[in-house]
Amino acid sequence: MGLLSRRLGELSRPPDEIRAQNLAAWAASIEGATPIAKVEARCGCKVAGVVQNIRIDPREGTGSIEATIIDGSGHLVAKWLGRSSLQGIRLGVGLIIQGIAGVSREDEFVVLNPEYSLVPGPEHG
Amino acid sequence: MSSGEMEHTLLPKAIALPVFSSDPLSSNAYATQEMMLVLALAGTMAFSLILPVSIAVASLLWIVVTSYRQTVKAYPSGGGAYRVSHENLGLYPGLLAGSALLIDYVLTVSVSMTAGVDAITSAFTSLARYEVQIAIGFIVLVTLANLRGSKESGVLFAFPTYGFVVAIYLMIGTGIVRCIGGCPPAETAGMEVPVETVITFALVLRAFAAGTTALTGVEAIADGVPAFRYPQSRNAAATLTIMAALSTSMFLGISYLARGTGIVIGEHEEHTKTVVAQIAEAVFGGGFMFYVVQFMSAAILILAANTAYQDFPRLSSILAADRFMPRQFMNRGDRLVFSNGIVILAIAASALVWYFESDLNRLIQLYLVGVFISFTLSQTGMVIRSLKLRPPNWRKTVAISGFGGTVTGIVLLVVIYTKFVRGAWIVLVMIPMLMYLMRSIHSHYESLARQLGRPDRKPVDRRPGNQHVVILAASVDAAAARAVGYARAVRAADVTAVTFDRANLSPWKRLAPDIPMQHLETHRSRTQILKDYVRAKRRELPQDDFLTFVVPEILETRSFLEIVLHPRLHRLKASMLAEPGVQILDIPLLQEDIDPEMDDSKEPARNYVCVLVSSVHNATLQAIEYAETLQATDIRAVSFGLDPEATEKLGNDWLNARIPHPLEIEDSPYRDIGRSLTNYIKQYEADGLNRVVTVVLPEFVVEKRRHQILHGQTALVVKRHLLFEKGVVAASVPYHVQEGRTLPNLEEGPS
Repeated sequence: MGLLSRRLGELSRPPDEIRAQNLAAWAASIEGATPIAKVEARCGCKVAGVVQNIRIDPREGTGSIEATIIDGSGHLVAKWLGRSSLQGIRLGVGLIIQGIAGVSREDEFVVLNPEYSLVPGPEHG
Repeated sequence: MSSGEMEHTLLPKAIALPVFSSDPLSSNAYATQEMMLVLALAGTMAFSLILPVSIAVASLLWIVVTSYRQTVKAYPSGGGAYRVSHENLGLYPGLLAGSALLIDYVLTVSVSMTAGVDAITSAFTSLARYEVQIAIGFIVLVTLANLRGSKESGVLFAFPTYGFVVAIYLMIGTGIVRCIGGCPPAETAGMEVPVETVITFALVLRAFAAGTTALTGVEAIADGVPAFRYPQSRNAAATLTIMAALSTSMFLGISYLARGTGIVIGEHEEHTKTVVAQIAEAVFGGGFMFYVVQFMSAAILILAANTAYQDFPRLSSILAADRFMPRQFMNRGDRLVFSNGIVILAIAASALVWYFESDLNRLIQLYLVGVFISFTLSQTGMVIRSLKLRPPNWRKTVAISGFGGTVTGIVLLVVIYTKFVRGAWIVLVMIPMLMYLMRSIHSHYESLARQLGRPDRKPVDRRPGNQHVVILAASVDAAAARAVGYARAVRAADVTAVTFDRANLSPWKRLAPDIPMQHLETHRSRTQILKDYVRAKRRELPQDDFLTFVVPEILETRSFLEIVLHPRLHRLKASMLAEPGVQILDIPLLQEDIDPEMDDSKEPARNYVCVLVSSVHNATLQAIEYAETLQATDIRAVSFGLDPEATEKLGNDWLNARIPHPLEIEDSPYRDIGRSLTNYIKQYEADGLNRVVTVVLPEFVVEKRRHQILHGQTALVVKRHLLFEKGVVAASVPYHVQEGRTLPNLEEGPS
């Protein structure tokens, strides 16, 4: 009975949770990536996540571009200064970044000017 | 989190199977019967062909499924026939596939409902007279359920789907056991039907075409790949295989028993029981299990109709994203907009049921043309794609899809040949009409994009001095006071108020002695008087200045009914949008948010301005200039729910245009822009008194009224959501476009 009710629970699970699970499974398939929940300040981590939002601020001198990535365990901000185009960064794309994680005023991890590579995300192949 | 690991590899198919397979599995309830109706024309002798034809149909299903397994692997983001043909074969094949499928989804509803009602009338024969009414009644019920927004719940799908599979397997199992010593005879066994023709090859082809209904659901799985769990493609492919295995075994089992129990069915027999009903009766000897089979058949058929309610809007939104359908079909998350597609589907399906008098045998003649057109195009597209891209194992794909495409192409010809005069011609006339319509919508959007892209506007710094305000005060109340506070905070070059009620003059003087009020006589329609007033005012202003028409309103309840209850105000705002050079600012205030202790006319200390953008063009730039005249605490642009490619383009265009304000590109699940925006502005904690949020919406106004339906729908949806948000005002900044002609000139009045 326990198995049956668990399965019925699974069946009626909201799509958001399924999405988060898909995301976690996708992130786990990328070699050497640390789950965002396990990232610590000042670690030189390799993190993989899907771009969830992009912020462009042209006011600060030459401008900054921020991308928030999520991997099903948490979120993290990658920030580049002095760039004049997005160069492949778009919503839904998979982003693998490597750099030193700092903590912002809003208490979230920010990796400044990380090295990055783009891979297909779980939903946009 | 790790306890979820195991379920994750086990369960995706258990969820996906009922959601996607109810449609193909349900066709087993009538596929054998439709084959037999054709064969019956050559007399009961011809029933010896039931099994051979069934085996041919089952083989076809396996060929198509094998081929589609390749497609779902190549298109993890959804590889419906439209996308695959559009990408690999070009525009017209894509539109052909798209229109064919839209029509077929409508037919799925009509055919499934009709067959479902047949299952019910087989159990309760006295209801047979009311088939049309019952079928349309069910369509109305399913439509209402979808309009209310029944979430696509797995449990809801699981019960009838698995129930039907179990019931049919029980029937087949019991039947086979009982057939060991000679099958129990069906109620119609031994009867004769009039022989109208000899067995010809054409007749066998017709029977085959009638039996191919089981193939309809394959397309839905290919379109819905993103709905599967990761790894989506593999799960979708596995679901296809399971579906095919269930479907073919049920189909062959039913065909075997139909033959074994000696069922006789003919086109002239009025209101006979369905083949499945007759088998169940013979095998179980009537009784409880007979009713279970009938109930489950009806349930899965109604559910199958329900899947079209998901498929139709899904394809519409893909087509709308590519600008072949009005943009509002893109916003799948918005209930009211989404309803358009559902209502269109319901009306078309009901019309078909009514016209064909709920006669399955006649309706089925229209069915499947679309499915086979899309199969053939999709597989041809896969062949071309593999030849071009040469992915690993491309030879295998070419072989499988090439073979599948050839076979479905031949079946398409068979379907058209055998069904053309019996009704398929209707579909073949409708398809080019739909294609033409989509093409016209596309060229409209394209010509608009070309005009908007023309760089005739450069971002210029604007000041509050470029702003002029007219407040429409229907009464002097808390909302009007808020409008006064807002107008003062903006520091506009001039502010005036207008009213139709002389009694407002002296309370207004007490409320805002600094703002003159003008009383307008109501000798004609109020809308016309106001239009004349702002038009005269507009003429005196420099061309680049803004003239904001402020509409304060108090809302009694937190309900969308408010729009219906105040149609005049709504119409006024809509017609004001058509005035060149006039912007409309809506200041709504909920009755429950009014605090009599507070001075509503106080200037809000902070005004946060959000400009909703989707790409960088003249309308966007104009909206940003407008935002710059509002004395804002902070100006930022936000975008929601764009396609990934569009988000990168927007970001780069933003940087290139050197717009001196930040841009935030946010995701919007299910493209529910209204809800995403209201969630986003919650961060400002607006109270309407000290902190206000102004949402600036760039809108298009096109010359031809009938084209207006193609625009401004997103803004409409957003405004509806913002109406009830505390401290949020919405500013519509219309941009007037003249199609295919010179660029708009603000001085020019409407023709």
